[in-house]
Amino acid sequence: MSTMSNWKSKLTSSLFILPYFLAFLAFTLIPIVYGFIISFKQYNLLDPVHPFVGLGNYKSIFTEGTQENDLFFIGMKATLKFVVFSVPFLVIVGLGFALLLNALPAKLRSFFRSIYFIPYAVSATVMAVIWKRMFDVTGGFINLLLAKVGIHEFDPIPWLLDSPFVWFALVVATLWWTIGFNMIIFVNALNGVPEDLYEAAKIDGASGWNRLISITLPSIRPVIVFVLITSTIASYNIFAQPNLMSNAGDETKVLLMGILQTAYTAREIGSASAMAILMGLTIMIASIIQFMITNRKE
Amino acid sequence: MMVKLKSLQMIGLTGMSLALVISGCSTNKPANTAPASAAPAASASAAATKAPEPAKSGEKVTVNFWTPFSGNDGPFMKKIVDKYNASQDKYTVKMTIQPNGDYYKLLDTAIATKKGVPDVAIMHLDQTPTYIAKDLLTPLDDIAKAAGVEKSNFPDATVDYATKDGKWYSIPLDIHPLVLYYNKDLFAAAGITKPPTNREEFVEDAKKLTDSSKGIWGAAMPTFWIQNFLFPTILFQNGGSFLDDKGNIAYNSPAGVEAVTFMRSLTTMKVSPPTIAQDGDFNLFQQGKSAMHFNGPWSKDAFDKAKINYGVAPVPQLGTVKQAVFAGSHNFVIPKSTTDAKVLAGVGDFLKYVSANSIDWADSGQAVASKVVRDSAAFKAMTQQQTEVAKEFDYVQFAPKVLNWGPISDSIWSELANALQGKKDPKQALDDAAAKSTQAMKK
Repeated sequence: MSTMSNWKSKLTSSLFILPYFLAFLAFTLIPIVYGFIISFKQYNLLDPVHPFVGLGNYKSIFTEGTQENDLFFIGMKATLKFVVFSVPFLVIVGLGFALLLNALPAKLRSFFRSIYFIPYAVSATVMAVIWKRMFDVTGGFINLLLAKVGIHEFDPIPWLLDSPFVWFALVVATLWWTIGFNMIIFVNALNGVPEDLYEAAKIDGASGWNRLISITLPSIRPVIVFVLITSTIASYNIFAQPNLMSNAGDETKVLLMGILQTAYTAREIGSASAMAILMGLTIMIASIIQFMITNRKE
Repeated sequence: MMVKLKSLQMIGLTGMSLALVISGCSTNKPANTAPASAAPAASASAAATKAPEPAKSGEKVTVNFWTPFSGNDGPFMKKIVDKYNASQDKYTVKMTIQPNGDYYKLLDTAIATKKGVPDVAIMHLDQTPTYIAKDLLTPLDDIAKAAGVEKSNFPDATVDYATKDGKWYSIPLDIHPLVLYYNKDLFAAAGITKPPTNREEFVEDAKKLTDSSKGIWGAAMPTFWIQNFLFPTILFQNGGSFLDDKGNIAYNSPAGVEAVTFMRSLTTMKVSPPTIAQDGDFNLFQQGKSAMHFNGPWSKDAFDKAKINYGVAPVPQLGTVKQAVFAGSHNFVIPKSTTDAKVLAGVGDFLKYVSANSIDWADSGQAVASKVVRDSAAFKAMTQQQTEVAKEFDYVQFAPKVLNWGPISDSIWSELANALQGKKDPKQALDDAAAKSTQAMKK
């Protein structure tokens, strides 16, 4: 009797994961395996046959002087720059907003939580249009504002056109767009810190700063690691912001832009797949290293 | 493992969002509705297989027709198709407007999967060599002959371009060369009576028109988009070309360097602003703050709506050797997969109708390719724009007739922007671009 019900419950739980499993199969696993196979072929979209070239596509990525080599390493450089510039802010500002929010009276808290979270629900296009108008060189809000107070009046700052300004603009737009998500995660983590720890510390005369360093941060450590890793991955996948906003040439030509160019302008799906596989591998390795370093002390 | 999966998934997702974005932007960015640029980098999309279904109506034959006219030009083509469908009862042309930015990706995917390939499609002239080389287009000679469409009805430049091994592959709808837009009010205020025709007049007028106290520039020069038309125009006018006789990259010649140096000099002369972002030149003209502006015929609508008192003129001879202008052209092509004789007859009939009745297309601001239409009283009575554009037909030049010109030329535009913004020496920038173009050519 008990084996029967056991079998039944197993079947029921299997049925529950079936929809996800099918979607995972159709939209994730099969495309990845297929992409992996394509990466070993010379796959031009307009050719009737796609010959097998083994590691040829990978080799040409690492051969100096080929277009794939150029696009891959220009893209890698731009992408890594963005990761380095954006991730610290994504984590620190997200935590800062969460702390501020938690310091608010309970009634205001949910109101401001929604306000900070709204940009996260906005589409990439809308985000890009808004910030492009803000940072536009001629007639952009920020340059007009600066001109009004007499800064760079006749020599507008080339936001979106030139390094280092373009990185500032991209990081600001990204923060505005995505910070709500990290903030919510931190807010939930902060709510999980036992209140009595703070009360005990208060009685012992610990300052706010001491309480943050000695109680809050150690308590939410796993969440910080999680946010750090997800933010790194998200930043590594940067695409919409530079593609829609900036015109700084190779400086902000990130990896995904190079992959798309290879796939649909040059129509070389095989090379593009090889680049995408390498991109996936690198971020996987980077995340493992990150996880190991940040978790070492435990 | 999750991490890797996620990252790969993102590629697809970002691709989708790009597709949305490119079509979404086209209302506030006229550049996007512009034809003839290299196929923009686009994305994977499930919509690719969403092809029109075959007709079920008894006797009428359905002809599936794809166009990239997702901008202001769409309704003009729709009018032609509607009129054609009403004019006879043998064929129904079913037009599908695909997003301009995704057009070739959708077409390529349809061809690669052999699903939902259109019976007849619009293709930019500079894309045709790639599709002809891959043996994906049907020669039109027989169909044209049967329908009574004459080669002589179209400018030689387009017919020559679309002919390979004696076979004719595409029938032009229009030719869209670069044109000069000028602000008539600002011209009158500066006491200039007619638009410039050569470099000396252009520079002289630009200096007269510039009024820094009012923030008005003589000619705000583009650094990004429309350079795809302007740089080739001055390059050709200087006697240069993209490729040399042997087919090697040659735009970094002295003719090319001179063209860039000249454009840059307008900034140092202070008749063009020190920094111009994407579309900055377009916005300044639209706001009445730049007196002269280079763009394509498709911009007419935007300037009409902005209510500027503008005129249109052929591009002055800014180069030192000869008059020339770079142009694109929309063409009708028939994919190889269209084999049904009835459908082919329908395509022929439709193309014959268009070549005699494309006057509605001229309403969009374009100058049509058909001589019959251009010689008609209706065309001659059109506003100044279309007739001025047609004047340039005698010396138009197109992109090189080579496989994959899109990816080959891709590197030019960002390097050109570097030089025009003064970040790089013109010669250095063009050499760097040429090295990349040569790489892309090796494919």
